[in-house]
Amino acid sequence: MDSRYSIIRRNTLKARALVIRATAAAGSGHPGGSFSMAEILGCLFYKHMTYDTNNPLWKDRDRLVLSKGHAAPGLFSHLAISGFIQESEVETLRSLGSRLQGHPDMKCPGVEFCGGSLGTGLSYSVGMALAARLDGLSSRIYTVVGDGESNEGQIWEATMTAAKFKLDNLTVILDRNYVQQDSYTEGVMPLDAATKSSDPVAARGDPTAWRTSDKWRAFGWHVIEVDGHRIEQIDSAITESKRISGKPTIIISRTVKGKGVQHMEDNPKWHGKAPSKSMVPIILDELKSQSLVAPSIIAGDMTRLDLEVKRCDEAGSDYIHMDVMDGAFVPVVTFDHEKLKELRPLTDIPFDSHLMISEPVKHVKRYAEAGSDIITVHAEACNVSEFGEIHDYLRSVGVGVGIAINPKTSLPVWLKEFVPTLDQVIVMSVVPGYSGQSYIPESHKKTRDVIQSLNKMGFNGVVEADGGVNVSNVADCFDDGARVFVGGSSMVGQPDMRRAIDDIKNSISYARRRMLLHRAHILGGSDMVNNWIALHEVGEQHNVLHQIAQECGVL
Amino acid sequence: MRTEYGRALLEIGRDNDDVVVLGADTTDSLKTAGFGREFPDRLFNVGIAEGNMVSMAAGLAYSGKIPFASTYAIFLPGRAVDQIRNNVAYPTRDDRRGLNVKLVASHGGLSVGADGGSHQQLEDIAIMRAIPNFTVLVPADSASVYSLTHTMAKVYGPFYMRMARSKTTMVYDDNCDILPGKATILRDGSDCTIAACGITVAMALEAASTLHKEGISCQVLDVFSIKPIDDITLEQAARHTGRILTCEEHNTIGGMGSAVAESVSSSYPVIVRRVGVNDTFGESARDAQVPELLAQHGLSSINITKQVRELVR
Repeated sequence: MDSRYSIIRRNTLKARALVIRATAAAGSGHPGGSFSMAEILGCLFYKHMTYDTNNPLWKDRDRLVLSKGHAAPGLFSHLAISGFIQESEVETLRSLGSRLQGHPDMKCPGVEFCGGSLGTGLSYSVGMALAARLDGLSSRIYTVVGDGESNEGQIWEATMTAAKFKLDNLTVILDRNYVQQDSYTEGVMPLDAATKSSDPVAARGDPTAWRTSDKWRAFGWHVIEVDGHRIEQIDSAITESKRISGKPTIIISRTVKGKGVQHMEDNPKWHGKAPSKSMVPIILDELKSQSLVAPSIIAGDMTRLDLEVKRCDEAGSDYIHMDVMDGAFVPVVTFDHEKLKELRPLTDIPFDSHLMISEPVKHVKRYAEAGSDIITVHAEACNVSEFGEIHDYLRSVGVGVGIAINPKTSLPVWLKEFVPTLDQVIVMSVVPGYSGQSYIPESHKKTRDVIQSLNKMGFNGVVEADGGVNVSNVADCFDDGARVFVGGSSMVGQPDMRRAIDDIKNSISYARRRMLLHRAHILGGSDMVNNWIALHEVGEQHNVLHQIAQECGVL
Repeated sequence: MRTEYGRALLEIGRDNDDVVVLGADTTDSLKTAGFGREFPDRLFNVGIAEGNMVSMAAGLAYSGKIPFASTYAIFLPGRAVDQIRNNVAYPTRDDRRGLNVKLVASHGGLSVGADGGSHQQLEDIAIMRAIPNFTVLVPADSASVYSLTHTMAKVYGPFYMRMARSKTTMVYDDNCDILPGKATILRDGSDCTIAACGITVAMALEAASTLHKEGISCQVLDVFSIKPIDDITLEQAARHTGRILTCEEHNTIGGMGSAVAESVSSSYPVIVRRVGVNDTFGESARDAQVPELLAQHGLSSINITKQVRELVR
């Protein structure tokens, strides 16, 4: 209950797009560090923080201190989405007379700390936490600190001070993105141990090199480590931090600088540089085309679903797809909400519950309470009033709302009024009920048609391809416009599930790159294609893109 | 001075629960430890971490507290200027310009003595008066420290008050009522104005008495409020006496003398001669030798007398 996963994800995506709009309009600014912390702020703004946009100085609010103030566009984008300012105002960033200064400033409602000079925000937060305690407020102080910023000695002065005063109303999130202005953190001033590899960000992937948590632990803090782009992990860490008493909490959030736009990822050049306006349409498409994989556990050992959940967890799944079948809506029975509840504690990964059941309106509450993050019901199993009830209920309890249509079903006419607030639409590409069926080829065209109609109705969610999706057709499904891919036998059914998922993700990535190259070509021919490719400097990206461009005939 | 500061803080603390005190391993020296004994939850000793102390004070002030953060002058403006500027002075919302932080430093100037040049803060006035929104005060004696401490608690905004280490000659009566922005005319005269602040006020008064016997009539101003500076009184002084001598335990560049010169140059330009530390550093001097150290930098009633004689000649 109250997962809010879908809303966090959707708003975070929107926030990244606003950062691009803002920095491109300004011609300068810091997209890299704004993107690495996008999910962190998303979890705070759309779930954990209490605030009142009509009364930004409300005494009982939670406070956010962006100590790494250069990531101001990242903060402003979330302030816009949450309603402190208008979305259009982000385009005034860094402009004379704007409330949106180059670094966060109290001119802008919702800003609690004038950042910019690094290393001081944590001390300031300590002051706020002490004040909140003196005033008997239940407010929490959330502080986002950068890893480059951790070079500043004052961070560690504040670390000692917060521990001395046992500030359990303070949660710090370290945006550990491994990049600072000059170069990689581990070259400029290491926080971790040296790794054997020469890869400058190898430390991120090598737990034996991690030392940052040891440092904070030694200073007397409660330490939680997360993947800072996994909403569910950040969410669960923040929840945990609220329970800790007698000491402050640090969430070490391992992130990728520039996350979401491949050419910015892990490239120090994008610490403080704006995208050129000509690239903005392609970048926005890239952001919009982020994709997820959702392995379906019923393709595994039905007698040991707990083990299947663990396999999904270890294999890098984005969602776990829960195919609930009741023997009535479909001829088969899989499991029900009791099983879901039993599996819930095994992982933080979102449960993408697909209810293939009759009269879902009668049961949906149990599936929400069992810990689903998204619940999709079948259009064939409800009428407009029932779906309305389901929709309103799920939204009220912070669970994502989805609707599924069978291969022979069209989008119901009555869906129109719900489309803008729908989180997910599943276009079934097999007749539901059995695992292991083949993809129905007509589903490609149907998916494209459905997406076209949905977009006309103001759809903000994602379309999930479900049924017979595998490594050889997933790229086509991506081209159709699907952005979540359910895999049964192609993922859970494979002995090496991680490898299977990686292969599918690679196919999606290929399709995504191809789509963006086409977009570049449409915008400005092969010159634009070359400019786009040239932006991709890190690792082998440049060569890979060049090859794809040649393969798809845009070069 | 520090004793009166500590006494005033206790009184203020009893009146107002929002008053809190921060120290940087100097709560005993700054006489704020007594506040901590009475209000243990409201005194925060942050250890030897002055930048941290200033930023914490900013966070407390942002949350509605009235923090008094104290340590030695050399470690406040001398060390934490970034935190003072960006965390305290800069944050402005609506008409509240800067945060409500009170920085109170002891051990300003050469009169620190024995600890030597590393500990003699001679640049703080220049630093602090260049930072927008700050009020900068250098009181002459413990009675004015007491009065100004009470004032700082009542008036919104960032303040810097510099005290001397040593015991000071009493210039004001107890219960004196002095306010930021207003210089005090301690003695009237017509031939020359002597503008002083901090421990040099007593020297200026002594010099004025000596000069009086020689038939030179001096006006003595206590310019304890260096920012805002009292433009009106200074203009009147310039018109009235036609020459001004300033004296301070500070670099002659950027200090009170500079502020006075800037003021009268745009209202009624007259000659302004500045006595102070002439763009150099101090050195150690044992307590008994402090007057000698000060005198080496021209800070003595004898030198003030001499300088005035030259000016009026």
